[in-house]
Amino acid sequence: MIDTILSLVPVYGGYIVALATFLSCLALPIPSSLIMLTAGAFVASGDLGAVSTAGLAFAGAVAGDHVGYAIGRRGAGLLHRLGPKPRAMIGKARGLLDRHGGAAVFLSRWLFSPLGPYVNLVTGAAPMPWLRFALWDALGEGVWVALYLGLGYAFGSQIEAVAELAANFSGILAAGAVALGLGLWLRALLRADHRKRGRRRI
Amino acid sequence: MRQLKSAWRRHPVVLTAFLLACAVFVFFAVRMTFAALYWADPARQNQTLEGWMTPGYVARSWDVPRETVLTWLGDAAPTGGRKTLAQIAQDTGVPLAQIIDQLHDALSAQKPPE
Repeated sequence: MIDTILSLVPVYGGYIVALATFLSCLALPIPSSLIMLTAGAFVASGDLGAVSTAGLAFAGAVAGDHVGYAIGRRGAGLLHRLGPKPRAMIGKARGLLDRHGGAAVFLSRWLFSPLGPYVNLVTGAAPMPWLRFALWDALGEGVWVALYLGLGYAFGSQIEAVAELAANFSGILAAGAVALGLGLWLRALLRADHRKRGRRRI
Repeated sequence: MRQLKSAWRRHPVVLTAFLLACAVFVFFAVRMTFAALYWADPARQNQTLEGWMTPGYVARSWDVPRETVLTWLGDAAPTGGRKTLAQIAQDTGVPLAQIIDQLHDALSAQKPPE
């Protein structure tokens, strides 16, 4: 399976990379990180052009992100049909996005990349101002392209090793971020329970 | 423990989601450890040749000049554009296994295993 993917990159070049990054930003299960690492390796081996590959990868990723954002924007209308409690949650999420949205978009492009597609939908639904989204998205994807092509370039002779390690590391970071977020939320809920119980005793 | 029971009663969904996320975290951490140990073995560092590799890739992987690899391929060497070893095999009608053996012998002769 991996071999098939690895052989697609030198055969179809930058265009398959662009397609892969585009589809993966829409939450489709495409191993875009592996493809990017492979592309980096083939840039190092002289089979792919650095600028064209980076440009195509970047264009594909940004395009995919904007489609995700647009879908989130469209779906936002559905949010109004929800009851008061979910709407209160959404209000809180909007508050969070206002304060930390840029960071969320930026970091979910490259550090917590498995979360990226979902951040696209949520920021579209909130909605985060398009220009703000576009700016942080471009910066984040720039880091992602440079990071993965760079890693592929540097470790071009051990692509399978780097790909496996990078995928696992990415999973660690994303799961860690989610666990941390949920843990903090749980702690806040338990504290609120404790306070309520305290008041009742009085 | 009492806190955990209370959390389970009042916020089962959040608690379950939290534990699930922790489990996934551990899963990837373990997987990464195994992968790191597996790939740390220097014997794996010199990659065995595969069909998806291009001559350029082989050259970089085994640290020999690209032109040298192309010379070793002889008549099978691709004229223009990049080609994978599998494509070269298809174009020239030479079986991929033969090309790989041919290259591997040449590479090993150049760089004897330590």
